[in-house]
Amino acid sequence: MTKILFSDKLDNCVERWKKAGFSVIGPVQRNNISTYAAVERAAELDLGLILTERSIKELFFPQSEPMLQYTIKKDSIETKDFLPPSGQRIIFGARPCDASGMAIDDPLFGWDYKDEYWFQRRNESVIVTIACTQSDDFCMCTSLKLAPDSTKGSDILLRPLENKRGWLVEEITDRGRDAFKAIADIVQESADTAAPLAVVEKKFDLDRSVAWLQNPENFESRFWKEISMRCIGCASCTFLCPTCHCFDIQDEGDTYSGMRRKNWDSCSFALFTMHTSGHNPRSTQSARWRQRIMHKFNYFPGKFSVNSCSGCGRCSRQCPVDMGITETLQEISKLSQ
Amino acid sequence: MKIVARHDEAPGVRTLRLEFQNPADHDSFMETYRTGMFGLYGVYGEGESTFCVASPETRKEYIECTFRQSGRVTSALANADIGDLITFRGPYGNRFPIEEFHGKNLLFISGGIALPPTRSVIWSCLDQREKFGKVTIVYGARTVADLVYKHELEEWLERSDVELVLTVDPGGESPDWKHRIGFVPTVLEEAAPSPDNCIAVICGPPIMIKFTLISLKKLGFDEANVYTTLENRMKCGVGKCGRCNVGSVYVCKEGPVFTAAEVSRMPASDL
Repeated sequence: MTKILFSDKLDNCVERWKKAGFSVIGPVQRNNISTYAAVERAAELDLGLILTERSIKELFFPQSEPMLQYTIKKDSIETKDFLPPSGQRIIFGARPCDASGMAIDDPLFGWDYKDEYWFQRRNESVIVTIACTQSDDFCMCTSLKLAPDSTKGSDILLRPLENKRGWLVEEITDRGRDAFKAIADIVQESADTAAPLAVVEKKFDLDRSVAWLQNPENFESRFWKEISMRCIGCASCTFLCPTCHCFDIQDEGDTYSGMRRKNWDSCSFALFTMHTSGHNPRSTQSARWRQRIMHKFNYFPGKFSVNSCSGCGRCSRQCPVDMGITETLQEISKLSQ
Repeated sequence: MKIVARHDEAPGVRTLRLEFQNPADHDSFMETYRTGMFGLYGVYGEGESTFCVASPETRKEYIECTFRQSGRVTSALANADIGDLITFRGPYGNRFPIEEFHGKNLLFISGGIALPPTRSVIWSCLDQREKFGKVTIVYGARTVADLVYKHELEEWLERSDVELVLTVDPGGESPDWKHRIGFVPTVLEEAAPSPDNCIAVICGPPIMIKFTLISLKKLGFDEANVYTTLENRMKCGVGKCGRCNVGSVYVCKEGPVFTAAEVSRMPASDL
């Protein structure tokens, strides 16, 4: 006998969690795009999606957020620090790749200066992940040594039942266990079995690709120019990526009042690294694409012992010119044979 | 921070002298600050820019920054008046380990608007002159007008314990220019300072650093005794925003001060 959450009880759960003080967030269709957003009722959740178009990242690291507000008066400047609005949240129906992505970025936001925006949201969120029983051609978690039922970054893992009537509940962390106490009487014991997991084909040999990237001789390889020739530098891949974390700090307002904000930025843009003098260390699109791949699979793991990619495949899936991490690492795998 | 003085160094280049408003901020800054570190200076409504702290670690009353007016933030800083308040975060980054330079000869090489970071190290050493050997400074700019800290250059020229070699790029000289004409690396090779027991500190545009490193190698300098500071574009200053890295090195945290040996291990085409 195992713990089961039946899907017809989900509305009760949402109600119960809200009563217990949680806001409930999950995959939804909003403005013709699938994303994670707060819901009032379980019916609003779109749990049949393979993966939302936008990643879970923005729940922890929004596209734009205020850091401080300033008001300039005649003889003084008043400032007010902004922290994200506090509140416990349950993110119901995350995918394992998205949940892993958040755990991957923890060391980055935590080394030296601890980013309070990130960690406040991390500490106030319970991630309830649903293992994948479907995948598409772009999914590549297995190539990253993760799986359709990885528990990394998740507080609860739900495995869809074979009879499609609900999910088998696996409690991963104490935080998850606590959040499920509120629905303890809704979760039932049953002998139902889990549906088979999605089959995600291995697309490249990660170890071989990483070894190629780590060889300094390959930094100047013609490969970079060839693979990135069609990149238009639109930055869609970085914005949709759950682990891409680069940001800009900009002021918005006038001489008298306004906000200092933290906004998503991207290594795909020339202006990202441009010096005042006009000199640009990463002056070509190929240098910028190389930076993105090297950062994810060489520099980041060198610092934090984990690849900065969870295999969601959004970069390839949504690239307007059909390139992405999968294609690049596939080519590198071939080069290193 | 409050602007307490400002000075025009060259066309479009201005120095601001700044004082902390809050004594506790002043004390904690001065306790941490060592020459080579940088800060983020800003004006509300315009944003922040990264510059080195141009004043030496040996002077604790104020800090100074020197910048070229170029974009939105530097224009707002240039337009700020004495008494105005600006924003400041810092100090960030590592430093020049000047106590390791004790007893050694010092060679400073700098170009154009890169004198401010070098000047911070120069004064930090000159303020305890007895601890160092011979001090040589090679400084060049495009034109005579573009030389910054002109009054301090005069002072160094007059000092008997400092050898200052000044140069301007060919065509940048004025009719009464009495110093060298030529690019910094060439002038450096002509001056031929001895690499024996000598530490070199270089700062300049990437192209100058590249050729100066070649010249220093010709003169026999060991890469481990050559220091430079990388002035990459930065936003956060705390190793997160992702733009200042060269290879796996975050310039804002592991730098901005590196030895030439460390720089040579970085991917050259990303510098």
